[in-house]
Amino acid sequence: MVDLNSVLLHSDSIVTRKTGNEYVLVPVANNIADMNSVYTLSETGAFIWELIDGKKCVEDLIEALIREYDIDKENATADVLSFLDEMDKYLIIKGI
Amino acid sequence: MRSYNLNIAGYNIRLESAEDGPDLVPGARFQRNISDTGDYDVIIRVHSGHFELPEEIERVFVAPYVIEIKGKKINTRENFWSVYRHQSGMFIGTNFPDYSANKKAILKFSLTVRQWDLWIEGNYGSADPLEYPLDGLVLYYLTVINGDIMIHASGVNIAGHGYLFSGVSGKGKTTIARLCDEAGAKVIHDDRLIIRKINSKYHIFNTPVYKDDNPGESHLDRIFLIEHGSENKIVPLKGASAVTLVIANCIQHNYSPEMIARFLGSVSIMCSLVPVANLYFKPDRRVIDHILEYE
Repeated sequence: MVDLNSVLLHSDSIVTRKTGNEYVLVPVANNIADMNSVYTLSETGAFIWELIDGKKCVEDLIEALIREYDIDKENATADVLSFLDEMDKYLIIKGI
Repeated sequence: MRSYNLNIAGYNIRLESAEDGPDLVPGARFQRNISDTGDYDVIIRVHSGHFELPEEIERVFVAPYVIEIKGKKINTRENFWSVYRHQSGMFIGTNFPDYSANKKAILKFSLTVRQWDLWIEGNYGSADPLEYPLDGLVLYYLTVINGDIMIHASGVNIAGHGYLFSGVSGKGKTTIARLCDEAGAKVIHDDRLIIRKINSKYHIFNTPVYKDDNPGESHLDRIFLIEHGSENKIVPLKGASAVTLVIANCIQHNYSPEMIARFLGSVSIMCSLVPVANLYFKPDRRVIDHILEYE
């Protein structure tokens, strides 16, 4: 379960490609790509994805989103948590 | 014969019978691809007999044999062909569903070494070394080596424009190829194509699926992802959406994250250089006029 202090890492079970300001994410299971479950990340999703580095905690992501897009904390928190929930299969919670 | 060269989609493939190998008889569908080019992208030495796969081998990809009955895809065998990895060696083990006997073969191949070996089991005095599915598999791995793309699509050249109409079964590839044909287009193929970047331009090529397929190619100007619709409509796609929809129609059996990343890179670069659009269409001539007016 993610909380504001959780630190996240990208999972190895996804292959990514940046295209413009967006990302294409291809899930990999047993070394095989699942081309029917490919994700695309919009500019905001790509921004959060790039911040996830095994060092920053969820709160850091929220603060960065507030600064980048000039939005309030409530909306930024909702956006980040919604993103993490959607991508949870492809993220590893490292802990505090 | 003991050896011959094929040129398929611009790839030069040399088939050579080893000392213990059968006489090589290219299938009728390859006759128009026989070439006398001296260079080759890959040389395949053909042997007769059983090749024992190493005990510690890892199976990295399994393809079931799928047939389509009344529009439904049915797996008829658990193991049609498989890809195996052992140390630096790669192997394909396959059956031959079009062949009456229980014929099997092992292809030892590599993505870095251009000399491959094929063992055809059984005591055959002569053999077509590229019998289905080896034809498609050899071509597929040549696309992987070269960073090219194999895609479910029909491809045409009409009024000097090279178009690719991509979609899985039932989306209308054959229908739109027929409409283009009736409008005077050169139809490259109506089901499966190889896309290659040559001298910084993209080209589409057919492969010899049927015995009367003439080798064909065209430059590629635009990719349409097709869908039957209530009206003819073109909706441009960009960035990640274009890449995601195009790769869903590509043929790929990558077996490592590195290969997947490389393939994703090839499709991404292509989608940044060749315009991609959704094409919703009604199956009559007006869709061709609509496309040409769009240019």
